[in-house]
Amino acid sequence: MPELTRRSLIKTAFAGSAALTLSGCNILPQKAGNKGQQQYTGAIGLPDGGFAVGAIAPDGKMLWQSPVQTRCHSGCNRPGTAEVLFFERRPGWAFYVLNSKTGGQLHRIEAAGGEHFVGHGVFSTDGRFLYAPVNRYESGEGIIAVYDSHQRYQRVNTFELNGTGPHQITLHPDGQTLIVGLGGILTHPDYDRIKLNLGTMEPALILMDRSFGEILARFQPSHHQLSTRHVDVAPDGTIYAAYQYQGPAHELPPLVAMYNNGRYEEIAFGEAIHRELGNYIASIVAHPENDLVAIASPVGGTALIFNGRSGEVVEKATIADCAGVEALAGGDFLVSSGRGKLVRMGKGKPAAEIASMPVQWDHHLV
Amino acid sequence: MKRLTLTLCLASTLAIAPVMAASTNSADNPSADYRKQWHSNILTGYQSLATQSQALAKRAETYCQAPSPEGLEKTKQAWLEAFLAWQQVRFVDFGPVEQGNRAWQFQFWPDPKNLVARKASYLLKDDAPITPEKISESGVAVQGFPMAEYLLYDQAFNKGERALPVDHTCKLLVAVTRHIADNGETLTRDWKRFQSNYLGSEQYTDTTIRAAMAGLEILEERRLATPMGLRGNGKRSVYRADAWRSEASLVAADASVRGLKHHFLPAFSKLLKDRGQADLAENIDQQFNEVLANFPELDRPMAPLLADDNAFRSLQSLYIDVTQLTALVNDQAAIELGVVRGFNSSDGD
Repeated sequence: MPELTRRSLIKTAFAGSAALTLSGCNILPQKAGNKGQQQYTGAIGLPDGGFAVGAIAPDGKMLWQSPVQTRCHSGCNRPGTAEVLFFERRPGWAFYVLNSKTGGQLHRIEAAGGEHFVGHGVFSTDGRFLYAPVNRYESGEGIIAVYDSHQRYQRVNTFELNGTGPHQITLHPDGQTLIVGLGGILTHPDYDRIKLNLGTMEPALILMDRSFGEILARFQPSHHQLSTRHVDVAPDGTIYAAYQYQGPAHELPPLVAMYNNGRYEEIAFGEAIHRELGNYIASIVAHPENDLVAIASPVGGTALIFNGRSGEVVEKATIADCAGVEALAGGDFLVSSGRGKLVRMGKGKPAAEIASMPVQWDHHLV
Repeated sequence: MKRLTLTLCLASTLAIAPVMAASTNSADNPSADYRKQWHSNILTGYQSLATQSQALAKRAETYCQAPSPEGLEKTKQAWLEAFLAWQQVRFVDFGPVEQGNRAWQFQFWPDPKNLVARKASYLLKDDAPITPEKISESGVAVQGFPMAEYLLYDQAFNKGERALPVDHTCKLLVAVTRHIADNGETLTRDWKRFQSNYLGSEQYTDTTIRAAMAGLEILEERRLATPMGLRGNGKRSVYRADAWRSEASLVAADASVRGLKHHFLPAFSKLLKDRGQADLAENIDQQFNEVLANFPELDRPMAPLLADDNAFRSLQSLYIDVTQLTALVNDQAAIELGVVRGFNSSDGD
């Protein structure tokens, strides 16, 4: 793969090394809408084969479980309210609006005809508009569907992504820019989860204005099969993207990219660590209190924390089937696994299991 | 594989991992010997698939040049033999079979929306020429064994005006079987070329074991438990099995287990023994034989076994034997070897 080799030369970058100035270090990590609410919510598989959404306190105590019809993937908290949304796993035909204190189901909103959700969404900072990546599956066009929670989640707008296979979305700290991981993979619900266009994928990290849907920037990874699925953003606006490589397992391309000060660059951790990541990252989370970023790979059974400014890996743990990551107050991360484990890890703090329960935590915690 | 990578070099504390070219030297690549055997065993399976697929394509062509009831029977027989050759290597879900969704091209399944029938009806509705290009662009539901099976076996279709040997249907059959044969040939060629990467990359050991685990799980859950009504709505339905049109669901299961035994088990058994798990290796070996002891008695159509509670028991016996084999490989051996197929790791999202 000479092309891959040539393109994957990693730029040396980062001119300055001034530490970030963060405010609010002494409060809980502020994920959208979670102010004051110290809990993390994730989709779960139950021992009887059923599915639910569950919420846990940071100490690992299960607060509630709310049954859902089918396997869910991820969701988002609605700012300023006690509501949390969860999306059905791709192809997601609906999302659930739950009371985040009790787990009670408030709504189940179905996808529009010819569309399905892909497991993710994000709210505007005022908690009114929901932005959900959607696959229009007959044409294979990815869009952002906009719903108005003030009108019982009526569909109020549609933004074109000019691309295929959008996955995770998050909101820039400017409150205006949507950050979208465009996986680039064409699927159709009639064809199971078959990847229909591996030869011609065009993945990208997309920045989009949330009012008008204008695409502000589009960054392409160093190889067309680096499916750009997961994204997060630090309070200073540094954006992180995590890839899932669709090429052969013996190739070990970079799996993480960052965008800062007009530069999009990929971070290589070295072959040994790449091998442990199995070309697949399920979650990426930038800690709002420090420079640390955590990723988890269920394929490699590896979770690690790296310094977002230097790319240096500062902590690494073997956690079977780990996938979900969230930032904990104080600077650590919480990692969840398909084997029911909740593991706390931080810089200089090796992974410590804080809970093990008879559920399968699905890909994401919110 | 040799790669040039400039490592991000910023803080003095940043460890720089040495970039190592893949090595097939067994001293620093201790599991290469297992992969060597797997590569060779799977190659044998692919070669058989290529040979049988060529025979099918030739047989279809001969039949369509001079149609006869005997020719149709021979074509069906050739379809079954090629399909069973595929069943033997169906568990291999990595390497060249991933390119261009080849595995899906060989066998698009499950097909809850009956796309195979819908696509056939679409392709045959007018007399537009059926070319290799048309097959190539028509998607995986058209390109493999299920489409050929539909044309050869589907009862409703074969009572209709498009039934074989109608010229246009014959052209579709010949084109589809030719596509299968070409795929069999390129897959075999590409598998040979894949050898150095496969032997040189340690992670393919886990990948190969996971592939066998997935194959067993699909057999247990989707090919047996689901049509037997043990999952979902609890209703027995042969239409949820694969190859129901040719009534080959169970003979295909037989072939898949034999495939795992011949193309996967030898190196796996050796690996287990080398890791001090000789008893477990022995148990797995015996359990393969337990499963296979259900055959050839059970090389029968599945539908009558689902319809009759007495006959259903023989299916239950097979199912129990398969679950025990799956438990030995996917739970016990996997845990001993530290190979995980998880809720998230097998999800892909």
